[in-house]
Amino acid sequence: MDKSLHVVLMYLLVHLGLIFFLYPNDIISSSDEGQWLPIAIGLLFHFVLVWIYMKGLSFFPKQNIIHIYSEMGRGFAIFFLLPVFMYLMLVNIIGVRAYSEIITIIFLSNTPSWAIIILFLSISGYLAAKGVEVIFRTGILLALIFIPIIFFVSIASFQNVDWHYLFPLIDDDFHFMTTPSYMKSFSAFIGGFLFLGFTAPHLTYDRKKVLIAAALLIPFFVLAVYIPVLTFGQGTASRFMFPYIMTVDSTYINWLMFDRVTMFFILCLVTFIMLHLSLLLWMAYQIMNHWFPHQPFYSVLPFTIVIFITSIMIIDWKTVERLLWWNSFLQFYVLLTIPLSIYFIGRRRKGRT
Amino acid sequence: MRTIPVKLLIILCSVFLLNGCWDTKDINHRSLPIVMGVAMEDDQYNIHLQIPDPGTDTMQVRIVSETGETVSKAVDKLSADMESRIDLLHVKVIVIEKELAKEGGKDLISGFMRAREVSPKALVVVSDEEIESFFSNLNNTTDPQGTTLFDFFDKDAGWSPQIALTRVWEVYRSIHSFTRDVALPIIKSGDSTVIDHLGSAVIKNGRMVERIDEEETLLINAFHEESTHGKVEVMEEATVLIVGNTMDHKSRYIDQVPYLNSQLHLKVVLLETRGNPTDKEIRTSLETQLTNRFNEMFTKLQESKADVLGLGQYFREIPREELKKWRSEHYPKLKMEFEVHVVIRNEGQLKLGGD
Repeated sequence: MDKSLHVVLMYLLVHLGLIFFLYPNDIISSSDEGQWLPIAIGLLFHFVLVWIYMKGLSFFPKQNIIHIYSEMGRGFAIFFLLPVFMYLMLVNIIGVRAYSEIITIIFLSNTPSWAIIILFLSISGYLAAKGVEVIFRTGILLALIFIPIIFFVSIASFQNVDWHYLFPLIDDDFHFMTTPSYMKSFSAFIGGFLFLGFTAPHLTYDRKKVLIAAALLIPFFVLAVYIPVLTFGQGTASRFMFPYIMTVDSTYINWLMFDRVTMFFILCLVTFIMLHLSLLLWMAYQIMNHWFPHQPFYSVLPFTIVIFITSIMIIDWKTVERLLWWNSFLQFYVLLTIPLSIYFIGRRRKGRT
Repeated sequence: MRTIPVKLLIILCSVFLLNGCWDTKDINHRSLPIVMGVAMEDDQYNIHLQIPDPGTDTMQVRIVSETGETVSKAVDKLSADMESRIDLLHVKVIVIEKELAKEGGKDLISGFMRAREVSPKALVVVSDEEIESFFSNLNNTTDPQGTTLFDFFDKDAGWSPQIALTRVWEVYRSIHSFTRDVALPIIKSGDSTVIDHLGSAVIKNGRMVERIDEEETLLINAFHEESTHGKVEVMEEATVLIVGNTMDHKSRYIDQVPYLNSQLHLKVVLLETRGNPTDKEIRTSLETQLTNRFNEMFTKLQESKADVLGLGQYFREIPREELKKWRSEHYPKLKMEFEVHVVIRNEGQLKLGGD
């Protein structure tokens, strides 16, 4: 069944959730000037990998990556899918922990983080146990309600922009390539598209439409970095944990009855993140289900319990940052090998027939 | 059938999770100050808070004060002593005593930005008199709502174009920026009016270094293309009302010397005349008056090496390493050319020279 709209909206939501929190800080601290260059390189990676991934998947209509690998043999499947499974669990743990901490830093300063983690896990676990259709339908609902708010806030955040901060435009050395924070910023560039390979045979989509969605995201990737830089200047913006949130916080909208628009903005993004987490849980279930067929409930529940316990054990933000850094290696490995291997398997099979 | 109890359980659990009543304090158990005064007394912060206290029929305003090593400590002490918890969420104006502003409020401002309890949109103001007497005068004369000070700076209420408007985040930005300083309004409690506006304090790296008067603040606001709409300018020949302003800048950087040509385009309407001046006379008179005033102010600012006008912003092509020295090396060398172009949009109900 063609469900391009579902997939496209999901693609947008997942990435929007990734863009606005950690990514601006990563880019701003990786380069002092001319931030468009690291952004452009990241986006290039994004487009190339998504294109290769979808091209590879198009050789196997009605098959997801689990089917593709298991057709190649049991060892093959374990070799590729086990890292993916580990990656999904790790991203889930870090995601739950990082975002619960972000919420305490930004607004719920008195709430203990375990309560926020339970909230995250119970909602996304419930969605994941209900299956992929439910997740994608929820996506449509969230998109309808919240994307206008995101849009409004993005426009409002232009309020204090000083275009002179755009200069200097060119950073003559490429030292940002080697900084850890630039590596971490890739979780926003390449961390969100893995699900495209899992949706078949439940949902199928038009490749071109997904690429259009990726193009729609370009302004958000640019704005999330440039609005803080243009408002505060690089020197000040690099001192903030969450530069974009700070910028939204400093916009003053006289006629709006709400004093802090930031709250709406953050809550919208948090729902997107919950959706992303549920998608990750569901993907992990799919891999488990392939080896040991069972009901989704029986694997989602242990997953959430494991994630809960592990994320409770992470005590401070420093550990979260270290885990993010370690995870970036696994992420590069998974998100480079999967699209490329799918593409080559597909090419080979096409050549054979 | 088996799933119904499970669903019920989930619904029940979410009732506990989703109500948001974690460590909650109801609004009647919270105090929401709107003005905060900060002074320094022998290495201790002295905090004054103005808290509107809604009674059954009337609104009362309470002033509470406390000292502590840090602002949070003082607020915490106050919270402990009071019957309700203090929530700085709605602080709209932060009044800093002049002495503290001169010593430097860098840590104070960073603290506000870090803890996020005070909104980064709160206005920062310098008090010319002691914070103690400022607050007690404010309380004696203030209206029952307790929002006088906030209204004074509100663009929809009492603000006028010769008052600088600077928010916490802007002060924070100026501390870490290479090319930008801020002006904070200086006020004291007045005799007939509640507040007396005395001009602006020039803050460089979080420290007050210079003082400028109201008329000069107007030029700064005009320079930043804030609307100067409604300001009355008095000259020998006539009195005019400013109804519009725009700026144009041209910057050049030749042989390590920055040059800037700035043009202020003003639209005015005529209010009163003295004698029979011509259109041209009025314009030239206004142009010279403003240009002289600007040049005087600029010399003063350049001497204090504080870039309130944000002129460094027009020289962003200077490499970053050099830009770090903007205030100390390049800014004092800056050659500034300021021109005013006045357009008299209309002469009112009477023809010029008609009376």
